[in-house]
Amino acid sequence: MIEALLQLLLNGAASGGVYALVALGYTLVFSVLGVINFAQGALFSVGGYLTFLLMGGKIGVNGALPGWGLPSGLPFWLALLLAAAGSGLIGLLVEQVAFAPLRRRNAEPLLALITSLGAGVVLVNLLQLLMGAEGYAFPQSTDALAGLPDVLVIGGARIRTIQLLLLLISAAAVLVLSLWLERSKGGRALRAVAEDATTAQLLGIPSAAMVRLAFFLSGALAGLGGGLIGVSVSLPGPYFGISYGLKGLAVLVLGGLGSVPGAIAGGLLMGLAEALVPSAASGWRDALAFAILFAVLLLRPSGLLGRRTVEKV
Amino acid sequence: MSTPLLQLRGLRVRYGSVQALSGIDLTVHQGELVTLLGSNGAGKSTTLLAISALVPASAGQILWRGASLAGVPAHRLLKLGIGHCPEGRRVLGRQSVADNLILGAYLRRDRAGIAADLERCYGLFPRLAERRQQLAGALSGGEQQMLAIARALMGRPALLMLDEPSLGLAPKLVGEVMQVLAQLHQDGLTLLLVEQNAQAALEIADRGYVLEAGQLTLEGPARELLANPSLRAAYLGAP
Repeated sequence: MIEALLQLLLNGAASGGVYALVALGYTLVFSVLGVINFAQGALFSVGGYLTFLLMGGKIGVNGALPGWGLPSGLPFWLALLLAAAGSGLIGLLVEQVAFAPLRRRNAEPLLALITSLGAGVVLVNLLQLLMGAEGYAFPQSTDALAGLPDVLVIGGARIRTIQLLLLLISAAAVLVLSLWLERSKGGRALRAVAEDATTAQLLGIPSAAMVRLAFFLSGALAGLGGGLIGVSVSLPGPYFGISYGLKGLAVLVLGGLGSVPGAIAGGLLMGLAEALVPSAASGWRDALAFAILFAVLLLRPSGLLGRRTVEKV
Repeated sequence: MSTPLLQLRGLRVRYGSVQALSGIDLTVHQGELVTLLGSNGAGKSTTLLAISALVPASAGQILWRGASLAGVPAHRLLKLGIGHCPEGRRVLGRQSVADNLILGAYLRRDRAGIAADLERCYGLFPRLAERRQQLAGALSGGEQQMLAIARALMGRPALLMLDEPSLGLAPKLVGEVMQVLAQLHQDGLTLLLVEQNAQAALEIADRGYVLEAGQLTLEGPARELLANPSLRAAYLGAP
């Protein structure tokens, strides 16, 4: 009984950690520009596929280059790190294509919702062109995890190693990012740009470069999530990131727009709630997630830890 | 005569079809406290925004130590020595007083110097020292103004431009702020002070300019301007 509960909690925390990664990615961009980057889900997919290729996966028969792959795969850790960095770079590209031109023309910021959605659709379709629409399973997870056993037994509970890694890696990423934002010079400067980009410039902070940094980090977080989910489950097709992108959006609203602790708390709450749905009723998982979202928003319209919007006088 | 620190030559700025500045010539020499006076909408803030590259100049030149600033982006100006304490204080309300001040020193690498300047700012404004861990947004208007000035000082500018530091402050606080500016001037800092409160500004300034509807109408030593009858009538409320 206890073991089953432990297992449930770990599963929930693991997927909650990934939701938190995605939501934090949204938060970074939202806090500096006040808009949602709808390409986030596509970047999640990109991260999954990049991790797959970097670990030595071969392109399937429906891809652009069937059978092509790296001559030898990189270890899981390195592949994940490089895939996150790669997704970050593609996130930068999304900023250059979908956000920067609008800013230069002083366009209505809400238009970026459409342009970023468009960028996301293009990315997912490029993935499909390159890799085909088929699903991919990662190479044997034992090899992938550099010799770690597939299953660990903790307190009588059998736990998939990858689930534990998922939780640890996303927790570490979230922790490092929050500390960086809160304590470091760069983090302070990014928050300054988020609050008042003009004043930040007067202090010598290059606001435009900080915006690009936010997009890079945001893309890297999505890519990291995609890689982790890919390794732990599989890559069911180029669109798989979109549903995580939507879930991340729900988490973002649940936790409170623009709040870093809110994104983390919202992610964990969402993951745990989903894990408590019995597997026989797994079809209700998403319904439950969004029911929680509605319930929280009815009681706290600004989200769990959201800042109450104060009108300036 | 040595090259002026800052020199505006025929500076023009237009917002759409509105000519906000129509040809300003203004000079600030090393060590001076120069004040730019004028009523609301005369173009005082626009002048500072143009110097800081936050609004584009449509014509004219901005020279810094004799070299043109054309094409230099806003975030590079503090590195060159131009500090700008903007209108309306613009403190970062979601960060602490201490973090606001540390951000003022964003471009500096000398940890010891930053720590020393932090203490100097707290000495200059003891009230900020008491509130160093509070969020800047929770400070009173006067305290926010002090924080904005202190934050600008943390960047060690060669020229500090201040945009209406007295705005919205109680008379006693206006006196306090002006006293600090006078002190900074005495310590050798060069200041360009934009003010509506002509009396308070001229009392501490070396020279002054009066801006009306985008044009300079008067300039001269502060003492002379204080005694100028038309200025007294227009800005000092005296007959």
